[in-house]
Amino acid sequence: MAKMVRQFQVENPDVQVNMQIIPWGTYYDKLTLSLAYGGAPDVFILQAARFSEFASFHTIRPLADLYASAQPPLTAKQFAPVPWHESFYQGVQYALPLDTHPIGLYYNTKLFREAGIVDQNGKAKPPTNLTEFLDAAKKLTKDTNGDGQPDQWGFVITNQHSNWLTIAHQFGGDILTPDGKHGAMASAPCLQATQLMVDMIYKYKIAPKPEGVDAWLALRQGKAAMAMEGIYMLASLQEQPGLQFAGAPAPQFGPKQGVWGGSHLLCQPVGISPEHSRAGWRLMRFLSDHSLTWAEGGQVPARLEVKRSPQFTALPVQAQFARQIGYVVYDPQVPRANSLNQFVDPAIEAALLQLQTPEASMTDADRRINQLLARP
Amino acid sequence: MQAEAKALDSGSVSQSLSTRSAAGGRSGGWIGWLFALPHLILFFVFLLGPTVYGFFISLREWHVLAKQHPFVGLANYQAALSDDIFWIALRNTAYFVFLVVPLGNLVSLLLALGLGQVRRLQTFYKVAFYMPVVISIAVVAVLWQWLYNTQVGLLNLYLGTMVNGLRQLGLPLSAFQPIPWLSDPHWTMPSIALMSIWWGAGGNMILYLAGINNIPPDYYEAARIDGANAWQVFKSITWPLLRPTTLFCLVFSVLGAFQIFGQSYVLYGGGAGPGRAGLTLVLYMYQQGFSQYEIGYGAAIAYLLFAIVLAFTAVQFRLLSNREESRS
Amino acid sequence: MKRFLYRSQLGLHIVMLALALLFLAPLLWMLTTSLKTPEDIVNGLGAARWLPRPATLVNFHTVLNNVEEFPIWRWTGNSLFISLAVTALVLVVDSLAAFSYARLRWRGRDQVFAVLVATMLVPGQVLLIPSYLLIRQLHWFDTYWALIVPAGASAFGVFLLRQFFQTIPVELEEAAFLDGCGPFRVFWHVILPLSKAALATLGIFTFMATWNAFEGPLIYTDSLEMRTLPIGITIFQGHYNIQYGLMMAAAVLAAMPVLFAFLLFQKHIIKGISLTGLAGR
Repeated sequence: MAKMVRQFQVENPDVQVNMQIIPWGTYYDKLTLSLAYGGAPDVFILQAARFSEFASFHTIRPLADLYASAQPPLTAKQFAPVPWHESFYQGVQYALPLDTHPIGLYYNTKLFREAGIVDQNGKAKPPTNLTEFLDAAKKLTKDTNGDGQPDQWGFVITNQHSNWLTIAHQFGGDILTPDGKHGAMASAPCLQATQLMVDMIYKYKIAPKPEGVDAWLALRQGKAAMAMEGIYMLASLQEQPGLQFAGAPAPQFGPKQGVWGGSHLLCQPVGISPEHSRAGWRLMRFLSDHSLTWAEGGQVPARLEVKRSPQFTALPVQAQFARQIGYVVYDPQVPRANSLNQFVDPAIEAALLQLQTPEASMTDADRRINQLLARP
Repeated sequence: MQAEAKALDSGSVSQSLSTRSAAGGRSGGWIGWLFALPHLILFFVFLLGPTVYGFFISLREWHVLAKQHPFVGLANYQAALSDDIFWIALRNTAYFVFLVVPLGNLVSLLLALGLGQVRRLQTFYKVAFYMPVVISIAVVAVLWQWLYNTQVGLLNLYLGTMVNGLRQLGLPLSAFQPIPWLSDPHWTMPSIALMSIWWGAGGNMILYLAGINNIPPDYYEAARIDGANAWQVFKSITWPLLRPTTLFCLVFSVLGAFQIFGQSYVLYGGGAGPGRAGLTLVLYMYQQGFSQYEIGYGAAIAYLLFAIVLAFTAVQFRLLSNREESRS
Repeated sequence: MKRFLYRSQLGLHIVMLALALLFLAPLLWMLTTSLKTPEDIVNGLGAARWLPRPATLVNFHTVLNNVEEFPIWRWTGNSLFISLAVTALVLVVDSLAAFSYARLRWRGRDQVFAVLVATMLVPGQVLLIPSYLLIRQLHWFDTYWALIVPAGASAFGVFLLRQFFQTIPVELEEAAFLDGCGPFRVFWHVILPLSKAALATLGIFTFMATWNAFEGPLIYTDSLEMRTLPIGITIFQGHYNIQYGLMMAAAVLAAMPVLFAFLLFQKHIIKGISLTGLAGR
């Protein structure tokens, strides 16, 4: 991002860009406070999961006029439909979608070859459905030092939220009912998805209990063969010397296609002056046009011509993950989406750690979600 | 040292909190005001003012991004008291206080007693025990997250080696199962407490050491002549004379322990830990205020915590002053 | 032999040494990890390997030389300046106030002091949001003012110094008063010179607390140039989420100044605490 901003600065010396880097955990704290009390930046990023919340409080500026005056024009046809659709709230467009980042399957090609999970050319063959996945994962789970405990795992659950939502969607479930008014985590499809994840750990024994950072480290160290993570974790694997890995679309565990994703949306604050708004738009436009640089950092660009460019298709993992862009699903698009997570994530965790049965923990979550949604 | 010890008699904690005017106070009139004024201005503007303003916020339905903040009376307080997660947070916090205050003080006291005994290397030991205190909690938690790791953490590696060693010596122990320090709800608070004791024991240790050093040496001399053993000396001299120090340390440990925040915040990345076992009151307040932006609700939780701490401290001071009276 | 053992306190030293190692071990681990290469760290996971193979300063190099994204020298300068300024402010303001509460009589004094003490029980987080609004109103946002001035409001220093001033024998001032000295000269020429240890204690406590402060600097500043070192470290953490070597190098750098200050002043701190009567008798 810093590189893109520098390039913009060189090409547009009349616009002064001050870039702020904010520690990740505090980004929304800062942004919210500055939107509420002044001092908000002229251009900022919102993630799909938070977009509705900010739009619902009318803190971000509708962009219809800027889109209308864009030269050359910028229209829906140039964008992947899912992130484009995402930039609207109640029919008003508030954002310029920069990218989308579905999770995907990372797999260790060396371990796959060793276990004989290969195609006719002898190349590691990633699983595409549940049967293949379980089959591969069982072959890849090994006790190499003979202490009775597996020390190489077929699969690791590194991000419970995204993994769960992916599988739940594939079974036809979601956090909320389709009207967005009630919790639906205890619905049959969600329970099925949860049970599958629980079984991966305790019944098939192909994945360790999820415990913080070691899961991802296991993949890095070659002690785990597969994980479903965001493209932003790519850099961390590339840093690991000697690790042979590749990316593939997430396997389809249930009857439907679906994969959880996030999206970065470029927005402007409400109340911004016309000059700043126009200058800000130029920056946004520039970032969108040059989103390939951004993509190298691990994102799938929302702009189709960038996504189809030879430079992008040459990025091996990114291009694989981008194959899923037609069926990406986001967090629920309701104003309180972010608040839901204080109930959703602990419920998933409680089930995976067997602190509660899936049914009990999901019913608890639904009760709390309904309470929250019932508030004015 | 003798003279200092004597002079200190007039400066014990209980007195500072009584409203009795200090001995020998000069009548200063407006000059007295003038001396206190610079601090008072800062105090009113940046401490008392915001504290009171925070209370008004707690009486409103206040989302940070909303333009309107309707007055709702005590609704936020009612909501908190009927929120089962609030009670989970309260229970966890109380558990932490229960673990860390007695144990932490015991460790501090033992370290101080050890320091009081050694004749060489005292500075080295003192510095070693105190060093963790000066490290910021962000650093401490990142470091311990790693030490506590179930599979690759140093703690489990060493415990495993130790248990296996003992087994080879023929002790009837079962094979070592790695302890899920941070990922099992039953271990969460004990782990946080252990880390906190490591981090903070040096602070109270210094206070205890100061207390021990202030006990006149003739007492010990007399005990030695009477042929008392170490335990008798501790029981009849050190412990009773340390009582004010002990009570002071206890009061402030309780105060600090109720406000536990950074430990869980950094260890669980702003989350609540497995099964919410790491959720504390201040963390819950922070989540409500700064993650959900319901600052009215967050402020109400903060004030409930304030009330609890106040009640606890009042009880402790009651006990403290009663004992002081019964002694004199 | 037994006598020798008793004299040399061998048993005691063994116990104390073991404890000291226990307390120092995590810090040593932090230090040695900061000297390891990334491969060394990942390959060494699961094997309690202390010594770096090979020892390298590459982490420190990365931390210190990426000035554009991580202006670590500027952060260090900020932390140093803010910590020193807050310490100076607190010492001046609190000693004046403490003298007043300990020695000068004015109406409402004890009631005001009781309020001061009571606010020591207020959890700091209660203040975050109202303070933020206030700082916005004062146009102090993202300035040094926001990080320095509000820190002078705490009642802790007043409480601590008052405790100490009360232990100074009144007779000393009586003489000065009889010689016709005003309260300020008594304060300046009698009280302050006798209180060096207590002032040093408060000073070092304030310095360390300000250096390690987290929430205030996080919320009251937002430009990269105005960050303090501990906040800068979290920016680091975000960028290199599991690069332990870099994290530990940054942590070592952040901890060093406070550790250094502590080692330099540790004698005074311990003496100061025992003198202020904080510890009771």
